[in-house]
Amino acid sequence: MADKGKKKRRRQDPDSDEEESQQLPFKNILKSDSQILQIIKGFSSTSKPSSSKTLTLADLGLDSKCREVTELSLPDVQSAIESIALKATRSILAGNGFSFEVPSRSAANQLYVPELDRIVLKDKIIIRPYANVSTVRKTAITTRILQLIHQLCAKNIHVTKRDLFYTDVKLFQDQTQSDSVLDDVSCIIGCTRSSLNVVAAEKGVVVGRIIFSDNGDMIDCTKMGIGGKAIPPNIDRVGDMQSDALFILLVEKDAAYMRLAEDRFYNRFPCIIVTAKGQPDVATRLFLRKMKMELKLPVLALVDSDPYGLKILSVYGCGSKNMSYDSANLTTPDIKWLGIRPSDLDKYKIPEQCRLPMTEQDIKTGKDLLEEDFVKKNPAWVEELTLMVKTKQKAEIQALSTFGFQYLSEVYLPLKLQQKDWL
Amino acid sequence: MDTGGSSESPVEPKKGKSKTPRKPKDSVLKQKSPAEFFAENKNIAGFDNPGKSLYTTVRELVENSLDSSESISELPVVEVTIEEIGKSKFNSMIGLVDRERVDEALYDDYETTKAREKRLAKEARAQEIQAKNALLGKKVKETPASKGMKGRGDASFYRVTCKDNGRGMPHDDIPNMFGRGFNLTFQLKFPFNTDFSLWDKIWLEADTWKVWSWGKDGLPIEISSSMRNQSYISFCRLDIDIHRNIPHIHVHEKRDNKDQWRGAEIQIVIEGNWTTYRSKILHYMRQMAVITPYAQFLFKFISDAPEKNVTIKFARRTDVMPPVPLETKHHPSSVDLLLIKRLIEETSKQNLLQFLQHEFVNIGKSYAERLIGEMGPDFGPKMAVKSLTSQQIVRIHQLFRQAKFDDPSGDFGTLLRTCFQCLSPAGEYNLRLGIIKELHPDMVATYSGSAHIFEGHPFIVEAGVSVGGKDVKQGLNIFRFANRIPLLFEQGADVVNRTALKRINWSSYKINQTQDKIGVFVSIVSTKIPFKGTGKEYIGDDINEIATAVKLKSKITKKMQAREQQERKRSLNRYLNDVTGAVYGIISDTAKSRASKNKKKRYEDEDLDAETLREVSAKLITKERLKEELAQHIEKVDYEMLLEYATQSGVSEEPREAIYIQSLEAEPKFIDLHSPIFVFRLFQ
Repeated sequence: MADKGKKKRRRQDPDSDEEESQQLPFKNILKSDSQILQIIKGFSSTSKPSSSKTLTLADLGLDSKCREVTELSLPDVQSAIESIALKATRSILAGNGFSFEVPSRSAANQLYVPELDRIVLKDKIIIRPYANVSTVRKTAITTRILQLIHQLCAKNIHVTKRDLFYTDVKLFQDQTQSDSVLDDVSCIIGCTRSSLNVVAAEKGVVVGRIIFSDNGDMIDCTKMGIGGKAIPPNIDRVGDMQSDALFILLVEKDAAYMRLAEDRFYNRFPCIIVTAKGQPDVATRLFLRKMKMELKLPVLALVDSDPYGLKILSVYGCGSKNMSYDSANLTTPDIKWLGIRPSDLDKYKIPEQCRLPMTEQDIKTGKDLLEEDFVKKNPAWVEELTLMVKTKQKAEIQALSTFGFQYLSEVYLPLKLQQKDWL
Repeated sequence: MDTGGSSESPVEPKKGKSKTPRKPKDSVLKQKSPAEFFAENKNIAGFDNPGKSLYTTVRELVENSLDSSESISELPVVEVTIEEIGKSKFNSMIGLVDRERVDEALYDDYETTKAREKRLAKEARAQEIQAKNALLGKKVKETPASKGMKGRGDASFYRVTCKDNGRGMPHDDIPNMFGRGFNLTFQLKFPFNTDFSLWDKIWLEADTWKVWSWGKDGLPIEISSSMRNQSYISFCRLDIDIHRNIPHIHVHEKRDNKDQWRGAEIQIVIEGNWTTYRSKILHYMRQMAVITPYAQFLFKFISDAPEKNVTIKFARRTDVMPPVPLETKHHPSSVDLLLIKRLIEETSKQNLLQFLQHEFVNIGKSYAERLIGEMGPDFGPKMAVKSLTSQQIVRIHQLFRQAKFDDPSGDFGTLLRTCFQCLSPAGEYNLRLGIIKELHPDMVATYSGSAHIFEGHPFIVEAGVSVGGKDVKQGLNIFRFANRIPLLFEQGADVVNRTALKRINWSSYKINQTQDKIGVFVSIVSTKIPFKGTGKEYIGDDINEIATAVKLKSKITKKMQAREQQERKRSLNRYLNDVTGAVYGIISDTAKSRASKNKKKRYEDEDLDAETLREVSAKLITKERLKEELAQHIEKVDYEMLLEYATQSGVSEEPREAIYIQSLEAEPKFIDLHSPIFVFRLFQ
């Protein structure tokens, strides 16, 4: 694999070397690939033993105050739903109507635990009675979803969220409603969403030096073409991960991912490239965590230099508020912010025309992020974000294309790796 | 009347619209007539393009008709007809023979050979497709004739007729009214040969000019009118000599008035564009119907193609008309220099004291004396008004600006009463009625603000909010009215839009801004609408009727609460079927599956569950039973909530009336009046 990569590079090199060294800024300070590889290897090996045991809420003595869900088997989910339904039946027959006890997923009920470096759900519970105008709709939807999941369990099949929505469009009205109730149901039962046998459509893709089995079939992600392999929606299908990569490169955007995949960046520097094309879905987050845990590789993130890039980074790292009940399974600890960082804009002399002024909304989001715990815990991040809010400039990964489409894979990333320039 | 205007025919024989009449070169400083000004600046008057000019024309005519009817307290009946006239018909009307083009390349719409090839290929292709479709037996619309030949886009000529039942016009005045910049029914006191810069200040009022300046392209205007108790109909056909601002009369005669018709009918032919402004014009008519529910509108569009014809009738829903605006005197702080000059010219009062006392509100005799004393030694109470020099007038104006007059905050009652007699708001009742009539909403809340003063001009804001209804699109629908005239253009920057979009938190009214059909109606009535820009279509975003919008709040919330009360039971019962179906579905499945296999004990509730499941299997618990029980529970909850609501909102204190009950022991002294349906018992 590596040989092929070298050949490819050699083919490009002779004709481009001289002119490009003038054209591409900072190309001249770039060391040879083998030297850079040496640097990464050093880093990769030192970072390995650090994550020996992960802390849990129980270790911190927080398990009484916080709520966390676990992976449940199908019969367990089924009987949990049954007992909820039976309880409701008895309550109705007693003339009391019925209600559900739903753990609140509102922002006020979230807690960032610095020791765990992720967001967890506190124990506040909301009673959702049927006989109340403000909750009647939600309760009705919840009941219906419970029934549908009960059927899924009985038949032992998987459906997508979209499927679920279309079974009763008239009641659900729009998919956001059925989706949000689905998360509620996970909380009520106390299981992960994948235990409910409901998955989201495939969104994330992975390419590079990893081999894993998907439902028994061995997949070699170096031989998946340029597009890569779609990350399977249910993680329990995935197993037997093997890799000779030195790091995992997390990319925010499809465009940058494509560039790197097409340039076979993973052959030049052995790595695994993952993207969820924007906000990550559950499957990608689960997959990333699994890779990190099993392969023990450092994760480097390449996101836009705007508040949303950082936000996406935080979702991978500390979990989203919406799904904090399952943050234990969804978050990947210790993600490094490789780029594009606000300080890079000047460091790499990205011309003014490629930078965008931040909108008021952007600035507000940026300032809000500064208040978030997961940013505060990392002083270097605070510094970068403060710089962004101060300069009021943002830039996308594509801004680097101003030096040539391949600048990202030819110069920017190798240089970053060489200098170990991540936070 | 007809002095000298006939020598040069104002109907220019060529079709081209020379937007700037050629100016004589000899005099550099030439005084422009108002009509000329508008002919050159069509965009100011809302004639920027053919489509808009059609719209503006309809608008002007309708508004004039309404004014005319209202001024004699007659319920307006307005008929608007737009008739499409083909180009050749138009040419023959203006006496122009359809000439064959000799030098084709001369014309703007000349087809180059390349373009023609392209078109022919396209047509051939279209024909092919059509043939194919015909073969397949599909019905296809006739492909429209190639548009390229029509010339100047889609614009063509329209005859706009507007008929009303208003005051009508005196026979002899008609040429002057139309030929000289008097409004249709209000004679604007306005010196036409004054300084030209005046125009941008008062063009707002002299509306008919717009019709004119555009109308000059084509045919003369035709006016028929009859006044009350007038046995004849005045008929007049005229156009205007725009350079000299005088009417040019073709026909001016009296005709028989057989059916005692009263009102005015104005017919003009203008260039317009119906296709692009169709929706705007219909929208305008609809909004007009909202704000004037006491008027009856009939709108017709007639063209050669019968399927394009439109006839819409907006019926009258009320007999209550807003009060006729009274002409009032000016508030001293709102007059400007020119107005003072005009007032001086027109006043019948001789000396300064009387002038101040009678031509302005809020100046009493003693106050006038004090003012004159303040003006300086040059002034005296007995000095003749007409002899004031322009410097002296400037001094008066300055003083008016600086002096303190009773402001709204001070003697509110009297001032407002005098001030607001000159306003004629639609009234909360009419606004509400109009909204209900045209939109059929689920809910309406209206509000009528108290009057305020803005830059010396009184204004009243009336507002309404509707939710639901037919023909309303989802989201915010904003209807803006200024002096009971709908505003359709330039809405983005308008104060109403800004307020509705940004400053109102709709969710606090439990209204979903994107999904509910919300209608927002705001009508501002004032002696001077603070329009921004020349388009006269939007009101600057710096006045404080946000306050009014906020006041609407309590009313809407109350309404919403009441609605919630009504709908609680309905919405609770709505999901009854879904919920019981789902619950029963789970437990019956469970009962079935558990019956088939033995389950090991897992939960503490196991016994209870097993018991329940047995009942399910034994059909003791059915979906219907669940439904019944739940419905009963809802009934109970609803009753409790209703009680709570009643105790919270309190029982409204209505005047109590004594009722008379028959005493039990009293002797039956009554007469029974029998009818097949009921018995009417009359106690004595």
